[in-house]
Amino acid sequence: MSDPDADLTELFRDESAERLDQMDTALLAVESGAAGAETIDSLFRNAHTIKGAAGMLGFDDVRALAHAAEDVLASVRTAGVFPPDFAAPLLRATAALRAQVNGTAEPVAGLLDDLAACRAGPPGDEPPGRAPEASTAAASERAAPAPAADVRTLRVPAEKIDHLLDVAGEIMQYRTRLAHSLGGQAGQAQDVAEAFGAGERMLDDLKDTAVGMRTLPLAVIAGPLPRMVRDVARAAGKEVEFVVTGADTELDRVILESLSEPLGHLLRNAVIHGIESPAERERAGKPARGRVELRATPRGSLVEIVVADDGRGASPEVIGEARREGSLADVLASPGYSTAEKVTDLAGRGVGLDAVRTYVHSVGGSLDVRSEPGQGMEVIQLLPVALALMEVLLFERGAAVYGVPLAVVEKVVMVTQTLTLEGRSALEVGGRSVPVADFADLIGAVAPPLGERPPALVISLGARRAVVTCDALLGEEEVVVKPLGPLLASLEGYLGASILGDGRIALLVEPAMLTRRSHAVPALTGPSAADGRAADGRAEAPKVLVVEDSFTVRELQRSILEAAGYSVVTARDGRDALAVLDRDAGVSLVITDLEMPELDGIGLTRAIRASTARSSLPVIIVTSRAAEEDRLSGIEAGADAYMAKRSFDQQALLATVERLVGR
Amino acid sequence: MPVYVRLRIASETYAMPVGHVLGVADIGQIRAVPRARPELLGLWNRRGRILPVVDLAQLLGVTRTGPPERVLIAEARGHQACFAIDDVSEIGELGDPAEETDSDLLAGATLADGDLVGVIDVPRAFASLEGLSGERP
Repeated sequence: MSDPDADLTELFRDESAERLDQMDTALLAVESGAAGAETIDSLFRNAHTIKGAAGMLGFDDVRALAHAAEDVLASVRTAGVFPPDFAAPLLRATAALRAQVNGTAEPVAGLLDDLAACRAGPPGDEPPGRAPEASTAAASERAAPAPAADVRTLRVPAEKIDHLLDVAGEIMQYRTRLAHSLGGQAGQAQDVAEAFGAGERMLDDLKDTAVGMRTLPLAVIAGPLPRMVRDVARAAGKEVEFVVTGADTELDRVILESLSEPLGHLLRNAVIHGIESPAERERAGKPARGRVELRATPRGSLVEIVVADDGRGASPEVIGEARREGSLADVLASPGYSTAEKVTDLAGRGVGLDAVRTYVHSVGGSLDVRSEPGQGMEVIQLLPVALALMEVLLFERGAAVYGVPLAVVEKVVMVTQTLTLEGRSALEVGGRSVPVADFADLIGAVAPPLGERPPALVISLGARRAVVTCDALLGEEEVVVKPLGPLLASLEGYLGASILGDGRIALLVEPAMLTRRSHAVPALTGPSAADGRAADGRAEAPKVLVVEDSFTVRELQRSILEAAGYSVVTARDGRDALAVLDRDAGVSLVITDLEMPELDGIGLTRAIRASTARSSLPVIIVTSRAAEEDRLSGIEAGADAYMAKRSFDQQALLATVERLVGR
Repeated sequence: MPVYVRLRIASETYAMPVGHVLGVADIGQIRAVPRARPELLGLWNRRGRILPVVDLAQLLGVTRTGPPERVLIAEARGHQACFAIDDVSEIGELGDPAEETDSDLLAGATLADGDLVGVIDVPRAFASLEGLSGERP
């Protein structure tokens, strides 16, 4: 059971944090001379409330400091003038209060003296030894905190809302199944159609409400940012105006919670690496005070979050490199890259734009960077509004269903003719050459070769595009995204999974993985395939399992396959082969003899076909029995190819293997 | 005496404390996850919940003779997972697993009806799975 004191303390922490954020925003406005009487009132009210609550809970240190701040604010209110120099000690007070509230307090005796001095002395009395600080401005949309709206709120644990959304999602699955069972509307009795239609409308409402409960405005995490920008700017000797627009834009709670860190990083980067020193700016004909912006704009099912600065921008060399590499984001987000010559403590050692990009990709978003030398830089994140529900395009490859967020699918095409460039396939889309790759190669799935003229998705993610081929397109659907769970959490490239109306599970694929890997997989088919493999050392050689009881034949086949660039494992009979397959899921093709002790080639083929995990694994039977009936029994057992040892030749074997593993 | 679910993998018998077992079902359709580790056979739809299917044979180092036919749904450490097995043989009491075993995943072994039964330490099995990277090595 919950401890009432602990609950109260928790409430106090939450409330104080919010009030301290409001005080920071107001004090920053005061510092820039943009504060009115209303701002002073709200500052006073907040200090007063924190003092009162702290006193009730027995937090005497908090009460004393809040009291000292309140006294300064009371004198200011009486005088009707707020000397901007008072803002600095008050900002130190809010920082100290925040630390105290969180239980990480430091001694505040000096600060209490400074506050007392503010109250007693004339405006402008700074503690000795401190240079007058440069004025920085924070003209945020929320510069003057609005009085709290009179809305009743309930505190509900986030898990309960997640559960509500889960349940709504599951009802949606049943709706899809029911609609499927009922058939088209034409076949339904009128009352059935009406009841179904009404249920459908209410379910949509329920779903939207549940999603709405999971989304929160960006303002929830934007509160401390002006203060952070100011502190970083001061420490770096920069003058910065920070502007937030679109703070009311809503985003998924889970995304918001994890967004603070990447945003903080981007803003620190903008101030430290982007904005020049005042002197440098003046030499470049810019105003001494730099400008950093945080803009959030809804874009359909996505939200665009831009961190922009008017600083020095990327160097011409970096921009030249970006032209060669594909995009500025690729160059700047390559691990370890930094726009400053030396890493400063302020920018956060070891965390670069690559960490931001990894985060953005992990939630199915994209990252783009635009910059011109001397003209500043824009870092654009496109993030989904809701994580739990997603519009996806479903497709099939190797008899399994996959989905990609619809927002990144530019269009779907039939691949009729591909160009081959440097051993890689490409397709002309809208006048530009875009790499083409088999989805099975990209995801690392075992799948039979693609048919002729396969359908394909054109994925467009920032500056990157890829054409991804599959067996069939199934259509678009709004699905409930479920995490893969802790056992598969570290597996990269998936956004999660979803249960479809027919009970099948669709794996939802991270689009960035597709565009990234499309540059690194071999060409689709044709003679250039070998070049493609050679050009990319990272491509793994497909692994072939040779099952043969004769040592000589086994080693002969091994040497032929290894010489052709395959990796080979062997087994003595069918039973041994099943054990190898159990141990090694990396096998992408089986070549088996027919007559063997323990379990023969037909038995092995049947066992492979019956296994859920590898029913689509290609099997070639090679044997001395070349009679037509033997060939038929092999094909009936599910073999993909049947070769007679008598007519056995290397080229035929390699061509068959190549056809079946799709390289 | 505590109650266990006894299960069969190839010719071997293992047991799980009944408190960790949520149910047993035919294996049906398993959704393979490309690039996942070989002992993770894929994902399974249990009444709208997506659960990972772990091959208990590979985890315990037992050589399988045929594909698994059943899944046993287990819960530990706040998570659920399915273990692919051949079948459940019995539910009943077992003596203390006093016999020592080599496997980290077993609490010990005990004799029952002439069989040596390995008693699976379910929380430890879950912990060891979570410690693995999902990616195929």
